[in-house]
Amino acid sequence: MELDQALQTFLMESRELLEAMEESLLGLESAPDDPDAINAIFRAAHTIKGSGGLFGLDGIVAFTHVVENVLDRVRAGEAAVNGELIALLLSCRDHIGMLVEQVAAGSAARPDKETEATGIMLLNQLKAYQAGVQERPLVPAAAPSRPQATVLPQPGGAVESGHWHISLRFGQDVLRNGMDPLAFIRYLGNMGEITHVITLPDAMPPSPEMDPESCYLGFEIDFCGDNVDKAAIEGVFEFVRDDCTLRILPPHSRIEEYIQFIAGLPEDKIRLGELLVECGSLTRKELDEALRVQETLRAGCGQEAAPMLGDILVEQGVVPPELVDAALGKQKLAREHKVQESKLIRIQADKLDQLINLVGEMVIAGAATSLLAQRNRDPALHEATSTLSRLVEEIRDSALQLRMVQIGETFNRFNRVVRDVSKELGKDIGLAISGAETELDKSVVEKIGDPLMHLVRNSMDHGIEKAETRMKRGKPAKGTVHLNAYHESGSIVVEVGDDGGGLNREKIFAKALEKGLITASQTLSDQEVYGLIFEAGFSTAEAVTNLSGRGVGMDVVRRNIEALRGTVEIASREGAGTTVKIRLPLTLAIIDGFLMGVGSASYVVPLDLVMECIELGEAERREIRESHYINLRGTVLPFIRLRDRFRERGKAGRRENIVVVQYAGQKAGLVVDELMGEFQAVIKPLGKLFGNLKGISGSTILGSGEVALILDVPALIQRAVNQETQLLAS
Amino acid sequence: MTISIETGNGVCQARVAGEMTIYHAAGMKGELLSCLDRCTELEINLSEVSEMDTAGFQLLLLAKREAANAGKRLRLVAHSPATLEVLDLFNMAHYFGDPVMMPRHGH
Amino acid sequence: MAKTIMIVDDSASLRQVVGIALRGAGYDVIEGCDGKDALAKLNGQKVHLVISDVNMPNMDGITFVKNLKQMPAYKFTPVIMLTTESQEGKKQEGQAAGAKAWVVKPFQPAQMLAAVSKLVMP
Repeated sequence: MELDQALQTFLMESRELLEAMEESLLGLESAPDDPDAINAIFRAAHTIKGSGGLFGLDGIVAFTHVVENVLDRVRAGEAAVNGELIALLLSCRDHIGMLVEQVAAGSAARPDKETEATGIMLLNQLKAYQAGVQERPLVPAAAPSRPQATVLPQPGGAVESGHWHISLRFGQDVLRNGMDPLAFIRYLGNMGEITHVITLPDAMPPSPEMDPESCYLGFEIDFCGDNVDKAAIEGVFEFVRDDCTLRILPPHSRIEEYIQFIAGLPEDKIRLGELLVECGSLTRKELDEALRVQETLRAGCGQEAAPMLGDILVEQGVVPPELVDAALGKQKLAREHKVQESKLIRIQADKLDQLINLVGEMVIAGAATSLLAQRNRDPALHEATSTLSRLVEEIRDSALQLRMVQIGETFNRFNRVVRDVSKELGKDIGLAISGAETELDKSVVEKIGDPLMHLVRNSMDHGIEKAETRMKRGKPAKGTVHLNAYHESGSIVVEVGDDGGGLNREKIFAKALEKGLITASQTLSDQEVYGLIFEAGFSTAEAVTNLSGRGVGMDVVRRNIEALRGTVEIASREGAGTTVKIRLPLTLAIIDGFLMGVGSASYVVPLDLVMECIELGEAERREIRESHYINLRGTVLPFIRLRDRFRERGKAGRRENIVVVQYAGQKAGLVVDELMGEFQAVIKPLGKLFGNLKGISGSTILGSGEVALILDVPALIQRAVNQETQLLAS
Repeated sequence: MTISIETGNGVCQARVAGEMTIYHAAGMKGELLSCLDRCTELEINLSEVSEMDTAGFQLLLLAKREAANAGKRLRLVAHSPATLEVLDLFNMAHYFGDPVMMPRHGH
Repeated sequence: MAKTIMIVDDSASLRQVVGIALRGAGYDVIEGCDGKDALAKLNGQKVHLVISDVNMPNMDGITFVKNLKQMPAYKFTPVIMLTTESQEGKKQEGQAAGAKAWVVKPFQPAQMLAAVSKLVMP
């Protein structure tokens, strides 16, 4: 359960690291020696490997290990960064991403065949960069055991004891280093049974010289453990190998090994012998035997015992200083990122969604309270509820703010796309990003990735010309795709632009005609003609490429955007480029609405689309009874009677008002009976049954409990404008 | 770590409270030895020792040895669980020769 | 009284898993996401052992250990450094800074628990 949560953290962390890795890899293309980028890439692999190991994700660890090795060489300047290596590392990044996603999908045990094959292929390619790197096996935490000087068979039998004998002499610095002999011996006790311990305080100097922070103790330990080998015992003391003399005699060691053992210790031989007997490691008889043998061997090899463990360790791993410097020069970029991260709290998106749902309910409940207060005509209550609504409004804004994310991260993903696609197409195309800091709701950001992908690919494929054509037109050979975002009157606008050939009006018109989307007699504005490319089955690409041009895509783009209550428009200049403008609501959950009554029904329009309200006098009402537009301060304003539009049967009101709404530069009027003022609308999606109702985008619940419909203003404006154009044309 | 000392009739009673660890070893060495200087019998009460490490244990060893060298008596009394565990692990209760209540399960 | 261990690593999932393992064994655990964060969180409180990664943003493990060891409250506190087998040099550097124990990444939670209990019993 807890571990499951940790695994989720790992998945999220890995995705972020992989994204950072990709970004840095792409950065290397222009600055191949950037140590910060190299470090960031190394660290991503390093961390994924390290954390992956904790979850036993061996597949990820094994693959990432090789990548890390290569990156380590790059970091040390042993392997050069070139386009080929970057491409390979990008593929490796993708492969790690694939492995991570398969863990996320729960198929942790084994990657599928295809992924496995990719892995093998990549590992093969990595080999070229690994050359010269020592293939080191993944060592477990316990240090590998060092070979001990072996003892030549000598005359004399084995001792009786089936226990290990361990002799320890600690160096003076162990305590200062935070290593406590107590803890090691305790740990040893957990591995088996300590049958006997003798603590030797002999080395403690006279009081004045005795440093209370130094260690002066030695230990003789008789130890018995099932399934314990010498390496395991050495492992207990691995952290004090430099600071301690450790001698281990296995069970049933030969007498002569005891002799060597005793000879290697600093204490008096006879005393040690007694200690061994006391410990139970030797019997009295065995000791006598040992001492006798030792006498006879004195002239020989007896004195030089096994080399000190510490000595063996000393000359470990001399590393070139460059490597150290490189590692110390920390990556600035990642650092800045981390500074931010340490101020962040990670929470699950669905918790946030729940909060926003609750805030939505609170807004409704607040509206109900206000309504009651109004009816009761209690000024104090009215005052209190208005304070309350103000606070609720602030809470709503803060809650929505929590879910706001910058669009930059989404944009950045296209660096890779543009790079890959331009290679595929053989065109030189760069990506320019602006407005990356523009914020929008997470729920929106998640859904625009695909449409943007289509548009970017389309721009690269169809928009940007071949280099020769560009040169002929006096444009730089390198094409540019531009991603831009900004806020505009309660919407976020995301633009995908290119400096390519632009749309060819005639060609589109002809194609649409051929496909039967329009008739030859139709007169269409540029906007309308360009809009045709979003029709299903429309494609003008002369060559069908791998990427787009199959006639699917643009219509899907439009549908996706419209599903988000957004719109798409195209601006294009032949020879200069095309820009697709996507306009989306900032959030999908709550809108500041304007409430209007028609007959017995209530309707809501987003407040920021309302320009003004005009009361219609008796004379004007008569004047416009049969028409569909009025003269608004000298301009033609088409309008729609909501009463007619929604077949409202209720009695006509004594008064009528026109609410002027504007969207994407076009204006229209909505004729309603009653203006009911501002209202916070928590958007409830319409059920499936009403899904394709034109002109309605959702519903909301009023404080009174009644349902109000939220008008789809763009659709209504479109309708009004069309009506008007048709009338004008006829 | 604090040591509170009471003296009377040449007997010094030192009560150690808190951590007997390396962090306090330097100060404690001086205090214990000066106690020992001033008396013929030193009783160290360990009942309030919350934590003891090897450095702390060594100080007891040192005090015991210095006392023996000077022909004085040193007694450890009222061992706290933390101190008992150390004496037990190092198998040194007999070295001090004081009556101790050993924990129920030896090693 | 439970012994307190501090784990310093920039990987939240690693801290989480190590935390689960150590708490399960009866230790108290506090976390730091890099050297700087760890120093701020320690703030003089008693810890019995510190586990630190080498490669971290803001303040790397080596600098962190050097700083730690200069503080009177931690000069004898044992430190486990998290290294990789390709970072032999880092291990030496860590040892020089005062981190005398190490665990090689990647490791299993049980391996970490073993290393910790060699130095500090719960």
